[in-house]
Amino acid sequence: MIKTHEAWLEMLMAGFMSKTKNKQVLFDFSDILFRHFTWLENELIELGESYSYDRDAVPIRVERLSDLLQAIIVRLNEIDLQLLSSPDKELAGRIASDIHYMVDVLSHMNDEMISAFNMERKFPGMALTQEATDALTLFLFEETYKEYELILIYNYLKAHSNDAYMNRIFQILIDESFFHLKRFGEMGAQMGILAVPRIVMKELYQVDDVVAFLKDGINEELAAKEECKKLSEAVGKDSPELAKFFDFINHQENYHIALMKDALKHFTGKDYE
Amino acid sequence: MDAQLIEHMMNPKNYGPLEGADAQGIGKNPDNGEKVAVAIKVGKDEDEPYVDDIRFQAIGCTTTVVAGSMLTEEAKGLHFKGVYDLVDATMHFLDKLPPEDAACSEMVALAIKAAVDTYKKRQNESDYPVITYKVVYSCVPKEEKV
Repeated sequence: MIKTHEAWLEMLMAGFMSKTKNKQVLFDFSDILFRHFTWLENELIELGESYSYDRDAVPIRVERLSDLLQAIIVRLNEIDLQLLSSPDKELAGRIASDIHYMVDVLSHMNDEMISAFNMERKFPGMALTQEATDALTLFLFEETYKEYELILIYNYLKAHSNDAYMNRIFQILIDESFFHLKRFGEMGAQMGILAVPRIVMKELYQVDDVVAFLKDGINEELAAKEECKKLSEAVGKDSPELAKFFDFINHQENYHIALMKDALKHFTGKDYE
Repeated sequence: MDAQLIEHMMNPKNYGPLEGADAQGIGKNPDNGEKVAVAIKVGKDEDEPYVDDIRFQAIGCTTTVVAGSMLTEEAKGLHFKGVYDLVDATMHFLDKLPPEDAACSEMVALAIKAAVDTYKKRQNESDYPVITYKVVYSCVPKEEKV
């Protein structure tokens, strides 16, 4: 599961870096690897084995896409080898089949030069003030990590819940966070500051008090709305297009707040004020 | 925002768990639940212990991660006296920082000190619990200058 976690992130980062039709293929593969991750997690839960979302650092700084694709192929081959000792042979067979196809496609993928680490902090065709650029830089680092953290938290909660009502909510929140992570990651790559989100500490996703977590989550979403509003105002003069994007993200947070309020009501039987 | 700072954001040094650590320490902000956990492996240089390896993890903002990246890099290889000097120097420097940045750096410095103190306690009592120190600076959310 650790190597699948790493491969998922590595593939996702490759998708952020790509500027060609490779991008969608890499995103699709990263989605498949995330689903492998959840399958393997479920297997561990059914076996009653303890596990965590710890992983090693995932080096991604390359000059050519092919360098990263080679590293991904090596990692996928390692997973393929590990699957031989998996107790669920049917699951292992399904995952291995995906991996063999992915390795074949990655081996033949057209190469690209990578600019996702040049630290220029400029959007193509857009001139932002230094202060707006700094604010956007900080926002992208904070929020890219935050979305990754949320995906892991909601995924862990979902994996350990048999409550269909809550699992619908968790799944929507996972999907929303994936959308945001992909957009922010792409923006980070465009600005030349792409980075793998840091490892999430266990106590964040192994949530003891779901009600407190949801209440904190609503407050964090309200704070995120404010950040989006400030960023929209900051970049509005230079880029109406970027301002509209942050307004859109701001309004999207309303879904998250509504979902968390629903979840709170489900848990406590009371409306959240 | 200079290139070195961005480099620490993109690629924080010494981030993550440390297998086989000799001791851990925690720096905590009780106001907002943010915390930094530091783990160390200790080497001996003519019987004088030094930080052979160090890792940190954080529940906190990017500023905390940058401070952790910088301070753990400084602490690596230092004898314990050097570590205490580094922590003292950091604490004296905090007054010059904005409060929110001061709280982040203080949290990291205290976590490093806690790890070394935990190690020393464990020399006499092997199951001594992980020491936690709390920050005195308040982390006020930063107003974006936009």
